[in-house]
Amino acid sequence: MPQLALTEAVFYILLSLQKPLHGYGIIQNVEELSKGRVKLAAGTLYGALNSLVDKGWIDALPENPESRKKEYVITKNGLSILKEELARLTELVDNGNRLLGGN
Amino acid sequence: MRRVFHKLFFVWELEKEQAWINEMASHGYSLEHAGRLTFVFDETEAGKYTYKTLILKGHSGSSENIKYFKFLEEMGIKVVCCVNYPGVCWVYTRALTEEYPEGIEVYSDIDSTIDSLKISGGYLIFVVLFTLAGAALNLWVSLGGTGSFSPINLVCGVFLLCLCTAATVSAIKTYIKISKLKKERAIHE
Repeated sequence: MPQLALTEAVFYILLSLQKPLHGYGIIQNVEELSKGRVKLAAGTLYGALNSLVDKGWIDALPENPESRKKEYVITKNGLSILKEELARLTELVDNGNRLLGGN
Repeated sequence: MRRVFHKLFFVWELEKEQAWINEMASHGYSLEHAGRLTFVFDETEAGKYTYKTLILKGHSGSSENIKYFKFLEEMGIKVVCCVNYPGVCWVYTRALTEEYPEGIEVYSDIDSTIDSLKISGGYLIFVVLFTLAGAALNLWVSLGGTGSFSPINLVCGVFLLCLCTAATVSAIKTYIKISKLKKERAIHE
């Protein structure tokens, strides 16, 4: 089965987790990357993080006793999925630009 | 100063209840505890908090829900209290209005919204079946099912039938919302 398209939220979460971040950090990073367009809500982020951990695309790091906030980081598998998705999105943009006469 | 209110909200009045709690908060009363009919407020700075009521699957003390509450706290959303019902729990949460000026949004994608509506819809169906069975039993007894006419059972039967109708309407509205979101998801994320 071919790799299905990632949701925008998952794409941005994986992109954010190239360095370890906790939940609130991810929300802030995604908002910054998307220039305020994508605002992840807590429940949506929680569900997405659990699914990504189950799939082995991200790892939950041991809890930092100082902050008591759980941090996450992308795995090798997650990075390869992210690269595949980037290739898919590039194809979409290239085809869109070619047929619509964009650059 | 602490104030206690006794107020009844039916299961399909979650948004109305939340609006009332937020209105109290805007007048300087922060919800500190909620029971099935009781709401306890403490006097606080007007508009300091914004509230959101959630329906979650399972008991509030389940390990899954406790993990979720901890995550919400990391996001600055505090669980004030929970009320457990069969199979679901009502969770009263709050955050500082300065951190959530547009109110607390828990779901920002279609799938999570659908999952949440399914929990509400499932519980409403349980209420429909429960009240329908109660209404049928009371009406049967009131109309002489056990040998004599019983006006008390007639009143109970009619009351439960009204509740059943309201819950049915609300369940239908919930499932229409789910259906619209599913159609939307076929086009948009």
